[in-house]
Amino acid sequence: MDLEKYKKIFVQEASKYLEELDIALIRVEKDFSDLQMWGEIHGKIHSIKGMAKALSMERIAGLCHSMEEWCKQFQGSDIKPSDEAVQLLIDGTDLLKGLVAGKNDVSSPENLKEWERITARLVNSPDELVKQITPEVRPVSSPSKIDRIRVDYSLIEELLARSQEIMLLENRLPPLSQDQISTGLKSWIDNYMSMLKGLHFQLARLRLMPVNDFGSLFEKTIRDLGKTYNRDARFEVVGGEIEVDIGLLDRLREPFMHLLRNSIAHGIEPLDERIKRGKNQEGKIVLDADKIGNNLVLKVSDDGGGIERSAIIKYLKNKRSMSDEEISRMPDDEFFDSILSVDFSSASGTTQLAGRGIGMDVVARAIGYLNGSMSIHSEPSKGTQFTIKLPLSLSIVYAVVCKLGEYTLSVPTLNVVSIERAEAVSSEQNGAFYDLGDRLGIDAHTTKPTYILKVRQALNINGETARETPVRFAVDTIIGNMPLMVMPLGELLSRAGAFAGVGIMENGGISILLDMDKI
Amino acid sequence: MECFIFEAAEKCLGVETEYIYRIADDIQIIPVPLAPPCYRGLIYFRGDLFDVIDLGSLMGGERSLLNGKPYIILLKWGQRKLGLIPDKIIGITRIEENNGSQTVFTEEGRTTELIMPEKIWKILSELPYGP
Repeated sequence: MDLEKYKKIFVQEASKYLEELDIALIRVEKDFSDLQMWGEIHGKIHSIKGMAKALSMERIAGLCHSMEEWCKQFQGSDIKPSDEAVQLLIDGTDLLKGLVAGKNDVSSPENLKEWERITARLVNSPDELVKQITPEVRPVSSPSKIDRIRVDYSLIEELLARSQEIMLLENRLPPLSQDQISTGLKSWIDNYMSMLKGLHFQLARLRLMPVNDFGSLFEKTIRDLGKTYNRDARFEVVGGEIEVDIGLLDRLREPFMHLLRNSIAHGIEPLDERIKRGKNQEGKIVLDADKIGNNLVLKVSDDGGGIERSAIIKYLKNKRSMSDEEISRMPDDEFFDSILSVDFSSASGTTQLAGRGIGMDVVARAIGYLNGSMSIHSEPSKGTQFTIKLPLSLSIVYAVVCKLGEYTLSVPTLNVVSIERAEAVSSEQNGAFYDLGDRLGIDAHTTKPTYILKVRQALNINGETARETPVRFAVDTIIGNMPLMVMPLGELLSRAGAFAGVGIMENGGISILLDMDKI
Repeated sequence: MECFIFEAAEKCLGVETEYIYRIADDIQIIPVPLAPPCYRGLIYFRGDLFDVIDLGSLMGGERSLLNGKPYIILLKWGQRKLGLIPDKIIGITRIEENNGSQTVFTEEGRTTELIMPEKIWKILSELPYGP
């Protein structure tokens, strides 16, 4: 596990909580009886503690634990908070900021002294604090350096829209005669437009979010669910550096919530059962992200007990009137797909027995809405894996952009083995070309193809090559190898069954991204 | 209600202005293979992709001969986005609220058929895409 990566996420998340904690403590200082605010303070400290504990940052976890104990007492009615007590919690928060920045290390002798002072006081009851504290002059620290801001997603959308509107002004440039425009001015305008297009492209990248950040949204949920269902599970993200459109990830929040809840509630076994099966005491849930071909593939897996086949068999017999023989002939993927049926999910008895199924029809519908697909693989006592394949939504991919007839097409650079000039290819090889024009229903071209693209098809999600030999096809011209902002196909073009998305070039132009699995 | 009036397939058509997002011009339409004849291509406008349809062709008329960059009526409703190429734009007019069933009205001697974007979408969805 790449611990440094998780520590970096921890610093980001904990810093956010600590900033909020400052504000909450200042508010509660004005109204000690605000139990809701004490609840919030308690929650934030608890979250930092949970994250620190998972990363074995014992010093931070210990300090949070002591602060949390005080909050609990203030939330009850037995002990009343005081100015001194709140001040100590504020001091504790300041100290936590230093510890978090140093990833659990005490960064200076002053901090060490402060850590000893605060922890020594926190071990006592808040009641005793008044007797110990004497007024003192406290150093006032400047706010920490501002190196990040939070902005509303809609603002990013608006900025993108504005920048594109400005780009559209290029089309409205009035025709100017040579007398009216100097070479210098023309060059300035061209340069200006080029810069503007680059800016638009960079702005578009603001819409991307690393899968790691998406995964971290579920850390606390998994921890809380573990407590609720008395399961011990850790959560890992693989391929967390892959960046995905925030709009897509937002739509995946609820489906993932269902999957993770099911993994904990019905997948991961209780401790005694895991020990009996010789498994690691701590269960594992993994979110694995990858870009395969033109797809984003997200796998959610657990090392739990697997889906109970007998429950699915019972459902198939009772609800679909299938015989034992028919069921035994069913391919595994079709068999497990049964749990995605609406009537399977609603049959709560069956659901509980199967160990999955709650809301699975909802998950399947949500994935379908995103033009994606889901497959299930499960083995008894080994675990379950849900593989979600989604067309690349808004993301940046490098692609070779080319022209064929009047169409501007693109192929992900990863799939391109070689590009050769047509005249360099021998005549016997010529006959072996795949007729892309025919596949796409393009009439005979007016120009002679000048380039031959040798393209490998994407690996399918089971890791097997869909076709051994790379495909060669001819195109009229190559525009270039360039980054594209890929947007999903709409409902209509999805029906063509040949495209993976729409690529927006840096200059605002559009190309159609070919789905190499379907060509 | 306000109604945007235009001509296509030698008919006078109207669409409620609440569906209209923009009237765009000067935008290049990018053709897409495997689409039916009325599907003229895609445009990328303000961060959104719009399917652009030649309304005349869709309604059984001749496929328009596009000269340069035509006007495109951009519609947005729900999650859907669609661009319509008319033969001619007439303008906006205010008509009496209909009772839900009235789809044709006459004003200034001109008979106009009110079209619903969802209905156009349904027709488009039933067309063949692919080889």
